[in-house]
Formats: sequence, structure tokens, C-alpha cells
Amino acid sequence: MKWSTVKLIFSREMRDQFRDRRTLFTVAIMPLILYPLMGMAMLQVAQFMREHPTDIWIVGGENLPSSPSLIEDGEISRNWVTEKNQKLLRLQGSGEDDAQFFSLIKEFKENPEANTGRTENPGSQLVDRLLEKQMQDRKVDLAIVIPNPIGSPSAIDFNGPQAATSKIFVFHNSAEDKSKIAADRLRVILDRWKHAYVENTLGENSVPPWLIQGIEINGADVADKQGKSAAMWSKILPFVVMVWSLTGAFYPAIDLCAGEKERGTFETLLSSPAKRSEIAIGKLLTVISFSMATALLNMFSMAFTGLFVYSRMTAGIGGMEMGAPPMASLMWLVVALVPISALFSAVALAAAAFARSSKEGQYYLVPLMMISMPLMIIPMLPAAKLDLGTSLIPVSGLMLLLRSLIEGHYAQALQFFAPVCCVTTICCWVAVRWVVYQFNSETVLFRASERFAVSAWVKSIFNQRHDIPSLGNAFLCCIAILVLKFFIGTAAAGIALESFIDLTTITLAVLLAGVLAPSLIMALMLTTNAWKTLKLSLCSIPVACAAAIMAICFHPALMALTSLVMTIYPPIGDMSQVGGMFDTIMGSAPGFWAILLVMAVAPAIIEELAFRGFILSGFERLRNKWQAILLASLFFGMAHSFIQQSIVTAFVGVILGIIAVQTRSIIPCMIYHVTHNSLTLILSMIAPSRVESSPVLQNIIHSPDGNGFEYTTFATVAMAVIACGIMAWFLKLEVQEPAAPAAEIDENIKDVEFTPAESAV
Amino acid sequence: MIHVRRLRKSYQDLQTGTFTALDGISFDAMPGQIYGLLGPNGAGKTTALRILSTVLKPTSGTAVVNGFDVNKSPEKIRHQIGFVSCNTAIYDRMTAWELVRYFGQLYEMNEDKLQMRMEGIFERFQMNDLRNLLCSKMSTGMMQKVSIARAIVHDPPVLIFDEATSGLDILVAREVLRTIEQLADQGKCIIFSSHIMTEVQRLCDRIAIMSHGKILTEGTIEDIVERYGERDIEELFYQVIRESSKEKRKPSTAGA
Repeated sequence: MKWSTVKLIFSREMRDQFRDRRTLFTVAIMPLILYPLMGMAMLQVAQFMREHPTDIWIVGGENLPSSPSLIEDGEISRNWVTEKNQKLLRLQGSGEDDAQFFSLIKEFKENPEANTGRTENPGSQLVDRLLEKQMQDRKVDLAIVIPNPIGSPSAIDFNGPQAATSKIFVFHNSAEDKSKIAADRLRVILDRWKHAYVENTLGENSVPPWLIQGIEINGADVADKQGKSAAMWSKILPFVVMVWSLTGAFYPAIDLCAGEKERGTFETLLSSPAKRSEIAIGKLLTVISFSMATALLNMFSMAFTGLFVYSRMTAGIGGMEMGAPPMASLMWLVVALVPISALFSAVALAAAAFARSSKEGQYYLVPLMMISMPLMIIPMLPAAKLDLGTSLIPVSGLMLLLRSLIEGHYAQALQFFAPVCCVTTICCWVAVRWVVYQFNSETVLFRASERFAVSAWVKSIFNQRHDIPSLGNAFLCCIAILVLKFFIGTAAAGIALESFIDLTTITLAVLLAGVLAPSLIMALMLTTNAWKTLKLSLCSIPVACAAAIMAICFHPALMALTSLVMTIYPPIGDMSQVGGMFDTIMGSAPGFWAILLVMAVAPAIIEELAFRGFILSGFERLRNKWQAILLASLFFGMAHSFIQQSIVTAFVGVILGIIAVQTRSIIPCMIYHVTHNSLTLILSMIAPSRVESSPVLQNIIHSPDGNGFEYTTFATVAMAVIACGIMAWFLKLEVQEPAAPAAEIDENIKDVEFTPAESAV
Repeated sequence: MIHVRRLRKSYQDLQTGTFTALDGISFDAMPGQIYGLLGPNGAGKTTALRILSTVLKPTSGTAVVNGFDVNKSPEKIRHQIGFVSCNTAIYDRMTAWELVRYFGQLYEMNEDKLQMRMEGIFERFQMNDLRNLLCSKMSTGMMQKVSIARAIVHDPPVLIFDEATSGLDILVAREVLRTIEQLADQGKCIIFSSHIMTEVQRLCDRIAIMSHGKILTEGTIEDIVERYGERDIEELFYQVIRESSKEKRKPSTAGA
């Protein structure tokens, strides 16, 4: 790759984008004017809400006590409200016909439980409707009803009959914001007045007023102003930067790929001496630059506006302190922006390269956002913290690291710096490779010649059948399995697991309907040779034995991997309860053979037919066995419910994939799978007495904490070495037949790929 | 200069399965010669030219351009060719000068040589007024001029024109054709595809009539006229296409 060519393409693209008004508007103008405008709007709205007068309708004002007086001369008393706010509260006195409400409220509101036994009764609802209508007619925001006279504070005869509590009803309409604000405003005033009333009453009865304070609880925030500000910004800024770096990458990416295809200039560029990889990298650098510029401009504009607006607003949002973001935060954000923009730009460019037109390109933005959004939102959750597990999640790990850096937790950030960097680098590398691949693929670059029609596609599925499934068939089967398993699993989650029969029913339902049915139906309908597709040919006895021994020998290493995964991603919830339930269910099984049949044998046979049978056969069309194995393993992992299980299962999938590809039979895969599942079950259910009585077992498994068995380190290492030896033997086996006939490959695949020399970066 | 042998290109098509855009075509074009690829829409002309310009890879067969094989040395071929496509294919937000210069730099031309060459081209094509004009503000004729200037800036021995006069008014089209003739006079090997018979008759030394990915007949215009006994080239074209339709038609090799 010549960097001079890359630089030439980069400078041209940059100049081109700077001359594009639409891109400039999205990247520069919008962030610069958007936040100040939003800030101004917020100030205006806040001003409007504060200054707007509130109209209050008072029914039964004559029932209020004369001292302390709530209302004086038709206005709220100055004792409870400032002069400015007093003018904003406009009172409407009650008319003569308002007396009808007293009886209604007395009947349905004062003691509704006594009336019907329910809080919500039709009568009460009727009063609500009536009042809502009255409030609308009178154009008031609130209605205060005092149905019974409230006496002035006086000495109480404690030996006499107990007086009923005086009640005041405040009616507001929660569907209207103005009414809600009015209710909040009045509540403060009424509280002050009530407090004075209670104090006076206590005074009249010779009780010291401070008694109602009880114990005074004082709270104090020890965070300094800068710390509080950093905490707030550490949540907001990384999110803003992520969203805008993706948005900022997307529009230039569409223009640089789909736009160029539309204008016809792509073909000219491809016929120039610039290599595909040079074109891809030149364009990628342009997109990265615009992505970073958009994110930076948004970040600074938001921070500046935020500082200005929040200083003008009295209490900030939710009472949080919002000072200027600390300089260190901004510095860390700028540093982290480079990998973030590189990743998003590469993904956006690869997606845009696929689009036939700018319009089609725009459609890809929403799905891309939807996929990225959960990764961006996870770090904003209060419970999210930087640990090994979260640091291995792409994007989220980087955001959490950024949060730690902004908050000044440098020791914690340093601890997880390496895993976050590793994951981010791998993701960036994969994304860049994807871009280069897209630019090397004729099918991607010249998709404009295709016309997609659903009916034609469906017809072609049945008319163009081959002895093994196509790549598309394999993907379709994966998606069908994932969707079916999700729905059947969700439906089954509602069923209470009480006995082994329940467990058997649910397990078999999921396996048969969710896994076996789609793969078997597709094998029969979409291929001409289901036997070959499902790799049902028999294997030799040495191969079968080797598979079984390899399963036994790999098992300790895989169990160690399971423990490691469980440590990195600890399961959520109380597993001890699940364990207890599991024991009860297993206890109701007719025998261990039944457990093995349902939990080990059935999943092994069915999953092998689907994943190493149909799906792997389809993926083998890629002509690269490792890509095929990895893809099938990825989907095999995804088909398992929990992330912890998925990771380990994907590893097992790779081993099974190798066996299937090398032996062209799923029989050894089934043997491996059954052995693996059985050993896992045995390990979880083995009786301690059995281990104690066997010296051989004592050297292989032990119980370090008395809670379940695990393999000894010696056994794990020794057996893994043997397993690797068997794996090497499998890899040396000559593949008995090609994945697809040579002629077919020539027709279907060769014509869409460039030579390795040309596709090399 | 250009030697094409049994060149074949097939795609996967949703409706017809394997779709053959080029079905084993062979021809030769020499320096100073204008070779015309003639055929109706979908005959496979653009696919053939895209393979010659190394934008696409052939499924099978070979094409050697100025001594380099499209399969083995596509990068070297790109230095030997100039490609002008049916749409003007120029960057809207660049001026004529910037655009031609950009391609000159992509061809790794020496800065002084590029400057001289560009001055010469802009003078010859009377494009000096367009130097600082953004391409988006140009007429189609002006754009096609810029497109040709871009294709010849590195002085390639082989030029490929894919329906270069399509959509142009008659005056501009004549100008383009004159330019192509001049380039042939300079000893360039030119491949020219069109479905306008009169243009081909005026311009080409040899022609190949294509349909459904195949060359139906090939040779000098005189030879072909003699072979079919038809003096009018349009009538000749109809006759060739009609005869081929009568002879045989494989449904799987439907047009491009």
C-alpha cells in the first residue's frame, strides 16, 4: 500500500466534503447552533413556566380558620408566599351554587372506603369528572375545596371526644403540565401554613412547638464542587461523543461510497492505479476526521452551552451541580475519540459501501444506531462499573474506562487499560478489514445491476437447489433457530418446573421445534441431498473412539474455561435457589439414565444435526474451512441462553466444527457432544463417597470448597495435552470430499472474488 | 495491443440462476486502430470493457492489454489505459483543473510533466475557460470533455470509450468523435463501444457485433458488408442479430 496515494485520496475527499454544504451543516453548523438554540429554548420555557400566573378556584373559603389566615383580602397571605409569587396566584371565590360540591365531596371523597369498600369508586370518579369540567369552564388550574369548617387553634380537652381531622382537598389535572406546576407551587404554601397551624395548636395546649420536629436529620454531600461536576459530565459527555461520532461518520461515509456509486465516479477511480485498499483507507481516514470533528464540536458546544444555561437556572437538573466540565475530562475524551471514531467510521463505511444509493445508505443508519445504542447505554446505568467483564465488551468497556478517567479513578482505569485497548484494537482491525473486503468485492461494488424481487428470490430458493445448502440458507437457518428458540423459551419460562417430566417436556419442545425442525425442513426442502447436507455418513471406529477420548481429555480445560468465564461475568441472581430447584427436579427422575438421555444425548444429536449438519455445510461454501467453523460456532454459542454458557459453547463448537469438517460426518461430533454433556452432568451430580472410594478419581477431581467437584490442575494440563495431540491427528486427516464441486465453485464464487494478490492490503 | 481470448463472465442472478454476461468472446485490437464493439443494450459490451479496464475480474479466459494479463497484472494495466464511461463520471465539487490534476497525480506523474501535459490538453480541447469552474456548473458536453481530458492526462497507449457519446447533442458528439480519431492517429489503441451504427461506421477500423454475451460477427466493416451483402450498416446489424436469434438461443445465457 502506497501512503502517497492514500494521502492523495484523503486530501481530495476532505476537500470534496468541505465543499458539500449538507455535510458541513451536519458536522459543523448544526452542533454550533443546535445547543445554544436548545439552551435558549430551555431558558425560555423555564421562564414561561415560572412567570405564568396560576388561577385557583376556592370552594368553601369561609371554612378556613381566621388565625393563622391562609387568605387575606382575596389573596394568599404574605406570611406564606413572597410578594412576587403572591401576584402570580390568582384566587377565584366560590359562587352560591358551589355548595353542591360539599355534599358530593363529603359523600364520595371524605370517606370513600366506608362508601363502597374501594378507594376508586364510581361516585368518586364522577366527582372528579364534574370538577374537571368545572375547572375547564372556569379556566382554573387548581381547585381547593374545604368542605367543613376548620376551627382556629385552641386548647383541646384531651378527655373529651376525639375531634375529626380537618380536611382540605386540592384537585389538579395531571394531564396538564400547568396544573401540575400549580399544584406543586400550592403544596409548598399549604405546608407552611399547616406547619404554623400545628405550631399554634401545640402552643395553645402548652406543648413546646419544637416537639413536632422530632429528630432533625441533616444530610451533607462531601463531594467537592469539581468532583460533583465531573461525576455529572462523566455520564453525559462520553454518550454525546459516541452518538455524534457515529452520526458524524455516517453522512460522509454515505457520500463517499454510495454517493460516488450514484455519480458514476467509482468506476473511474477503480480503473485508476490506486489499489482498492488504498481507496478504502483514504476514504476511511476522511470519515474518521469528520467523525472526530463532529464529536468534538458537539462536545465543546454542549459543554459551553451547558455551562451557560445551567448557571442561569437556579437548581440545575434534579438538583445536581453542573459546573464547567473539568479540563482533564475533555482531554481524556479527545484521546478516547480516536479509537471510537476509527471503529464507528469503519463500520459506517463498510455499511455505506454496501448501499447502492445515498437513499439506501440512509436506511442503514437506524439499524446501526440500534445495534450501537445498547453498548452506549450500558455504561450509563448506575450499576455499571469498570471490571474485567465490562472491559471486554466493545464500546461499553471504552466508555467505562473513559468514565473512570474523567472521575479521576486512575488506579482503576490503569488496571483495565490493557483489556479495553486490546478489545478496541481488535474491533477496529476487524472493521477496517471489513471495509477493505467490501471494496474488494465485485458483488458489493456493483450491486446496482441487481434487481431484488421477493417472488423471484423465493422461486430461486426452490429452483436453484444444490446437494448442499447455500450460504444464505445457512444464515436463514441460524436466524430461524435463534428466533424460534427465543419464542419457545419465553413461552416455556412461564411454566413452573416442578418435576423431571416438566423439564423433559420443555427441553424436548425447545430442541425439536426450535432446533431440529428448521434444520431438517430446510435440509429436505432446500437441498437435493439431505444425507450429504446433514453429514450422516458413518465414520470409522478409530475416529469414533478418538472423538470420545478427545471429549474426555478436553473436558477439564473446558470446565476451567467455564470457571474463568463465571469469574469474569458472574451470574446475576441467586444461583443457590436455582441449584436447589435443580436437585429437586433431578431427584424426581426415574434414573440417571433418563437424565443423561434428556440432558446429554438429545441435545447432542439434535444440535449436531443443525449446527454441524445443515449450517456448517452451508458455511463451507465460503471455501475457507476456518471461517465456516468459526461462523457456525458463533451461532452455536448464540443459540444458548446465557452469555456465560454461550462463550464456552462457542469454544466447544470450534472443536466440533473441526471434527465435522475433517471427517465429513456428524457421528463423531455426536459422540464428542454426548461425552462432553455426560461428563458435565456426572461432575455436577457425583457423590462425594464415590470419589473418596476411588484413588484414581481423587487424582483427577477434587472439591476445594466442599461445594461441587472440579478437576485438579495436573489432570487439566495432562489431559489437555493428550486432547491437543488427538486434535492434531484430526487436523492431519485427509478431507474425504470437497465442500462443493469444483465446477460449482467456479460458477458461484470465483466470479465475485478478486485474486489474493489484488485483495491484499 | 489488446488480445482477448475466450473471455467469460458470469454472475449469480436471482431469477435465472447463473447468468452469463460474457460468453467466451475473443478479438484483437492493434495500435492506431479503433475497434468498435457494437450491440444492443445488454449485449455485454460494458462488461467486456470493465474487464479490460480491470474493474471486474473475468470468470475464465484471458485478456492481454499492452502485454499485461488482466488476471495477473491488473495494477500494471491500469497505468496503460484511460477509461471513459457512458456517464461523464466526474466529481461535482471539483474544478476541471483540480480533477484532471488529481488523476494525473494518481497515475504518479512527475509534477512538471503533469503541468505541461495539462496545459497542452486544456489548450487543445479549448478548456481554459473551464479551469476554475466547478464540474457541477458545467453542461454535459463540457463534462464529457473534462472526462476525456482526465482519461488521457497520463498519455496511455490504450483508451476505452464505453458509449462515450451517449446523451450528448450532435455537436458535442461530433467533437468527441473527432477527438477519438485524433487519438487513433497518434497511435493509440482505442476500444469504442456504441449502439449508434453511424458513429461506428464513421469511426471504426474493425468491429465486433455482440449480442447476449457473444460476438456474432467480427472483422473490418468492408468484410462484414461483403459477408452479409448489405451495404447499410443499420440493416446489416439487424440482419446479424436476426440470424443469430433464429439459429439458437440458450435460455440460460440471456442478455446483460
